[in-house]
Amino acid sequence: MPGTRHAFHEELENLEKQALGALDMIVATLERALEALKHQDVELAQIVISDDDRIDGRYLEVHQGILTLLATQAPVATDLRTVAALLHVIKHVERMGDQCVNIAKLIPITGHEPPVDEEMLATVVRMGDLAISEVRQAKQAFELRDVGLAQDLVRQDEEINKLNREVFRMGVRAGGSDEDRLEWVLTIVMVARALERVGDNAVDIGEQVAFVVTGLFREFSDASHPLPS
Amino acid sequence: MTPPDETSPNRTEVVEQQDAASAAAPQATVGAPEVPTRPGEGARAGGHTISVDDLDAYYGETHAIRGVSIDYAANDVTAMIGPSGCGKSTVLRCLNRMHEEITGAYATGTVKLDDTDIYGSSIDVVAVRRSIGMVFQKPNPFPTMSVADNVSAGLRLAGVKGKHKDEVVEKSLRDAGLWEEVKERLSEPGVGLSGGQQQRLCIARTIAIQPDIILMDEPCSALDPIATLKIEELIHELKRQYTIIIVTHNMQQAARVADRTAFFWLGELIELGPTEKIFTKPDNQRTEDYVSGKFG
Repeated sequence: MPGTRHAFHEELENLEKQALGALDMIVATLERALEALKHQDVELAQIVISDDDRIDGRYLEVHQGILTLLATQAPVATDLRTVAALLHVIKHVERMGDQCVNIAKLIPITGHEPPVDEEMLATVVRMGDLAISEVRQAKQAFELRDVGLAQDLVRQDEEINKLNREVFRMGVRAGGSDEDRLEWVLTIVMVARALERVGDNAVDIGEQVAFVVTGLFREFSDASHPLPS
Repeated sequence: MTPPDETSPNRTEVVEQQDAASAAAPQATVGAPEVPTRPGEGARAGGHTISVDDLDAYYGETHAIRGVSIDYAANDVTAMIGPSGCGKSTVLRCLNRMHEEITGAYATGTVKLDDTDIYGSSIDVVAVRRSIGMVFQKPNPFPTMSVADNVSAGLRLAGVKGKHKDEVVEKSLRDAGLWEEVKERLSEPGVGLSGGQQQRLCIARTIAIQPDIILMDEPCSALDPIATLKIEELIHELKRQYTIIIVTHNMQQAARVADRTAFFWLGELIELGPTEKIFTKPDNQRTEDYVSGKFG
């Protein structure tokens, strides 16, 4: 039997490409933010901040596309779940973009040659690499509708959370009474927190993958009611 | 239900079969109130059910419906959807024995209104259609009758007259959401109303004789969006009193009005479930493909 509603399914595919493509933009922005952090590159940080408009623009484009699709095509079943999930995905993308901006805005605060704790910086950069890996994996899981790959994000995210707690402890130890050093340490703690939130957003996208595939929404991990370790 | 006959069991033949049954067992049909002549009598006050078991329907040699079993719950709205020719309207017409009106058409299986087999030999086919009323695709008020007479047309056959008849006309028009619009024009021709009003007039005519079940065969397909909305709101009101079964091509309408939705394909019932489930996560891939427009 010949297929119908080609135009609708093409539109939906394009919307998915736009939304998931925005995750590539996040990867590029995270890489720049980390680069700026490592080299205390204020100019690059400024580019990260101004480029957030592109991510916001993509958010608005996808959001409007989804509204139009809902209004004109009344999607149902898997299509409906995909549309609903894309609405979540693009919101998470927009928030991840905001976290990159938060990181970039912190970079000039510490001054030109801050008193860097190399171990702490390396840990945060490691967190950034893991966050980038999570974002890439979230995109792949959505494209492949792979629930296993989506659930694996929790494992990676636990590593980021662990490093985040480590950065905090390092900061407490390294802060001391020197104001410049304390300022740098607090900044790095806030950067770590922003990266940790990026990881959470990637896990949230993974949860949407499971929703699209199974029709059931459940959180992979419940931060409010953690299981006893 | 009688097994398929080589000859067409049209309406005349149905009456003849009944006559033969009456002749064979006069003590069971003459002055014997314990034999129900109107299906659904004695049903629980909460509403009426229809149970279909292993229904097969034919148009001559063509096997249109295959082994359909479905229970329509009391006071539920059940939508039947599917592509053209899938058999949904045929199933609907088997529910009040209208299918057999077509020359060469017959059905096998069981259709029960509450506990009564409507294809039973002692069943009066006219009474079946009074108990299981039908609203058609195109509004069909009697062209020579006034608004009021259109509503009371069925009452006359039931012997309701005078003041009581007027009360029933008003109540039926109120229940059909039409009273305020036509109360000043009750004696004017029914065909002078708008399409949407005519359809609600037909619904008033259907409910005037207090059926147990209302069947609707694409009741809004000839109506504009506003008139459609009024009929859909009316369906929500009517389900408090009646069990409603609706055939619709408009899947959004099914999603809006139905408690449960049944998807038919190539004469088979593919899936029946809560409407919300059918339109968000159906179990069957063919249902998924149809509701999401991949075929049909």
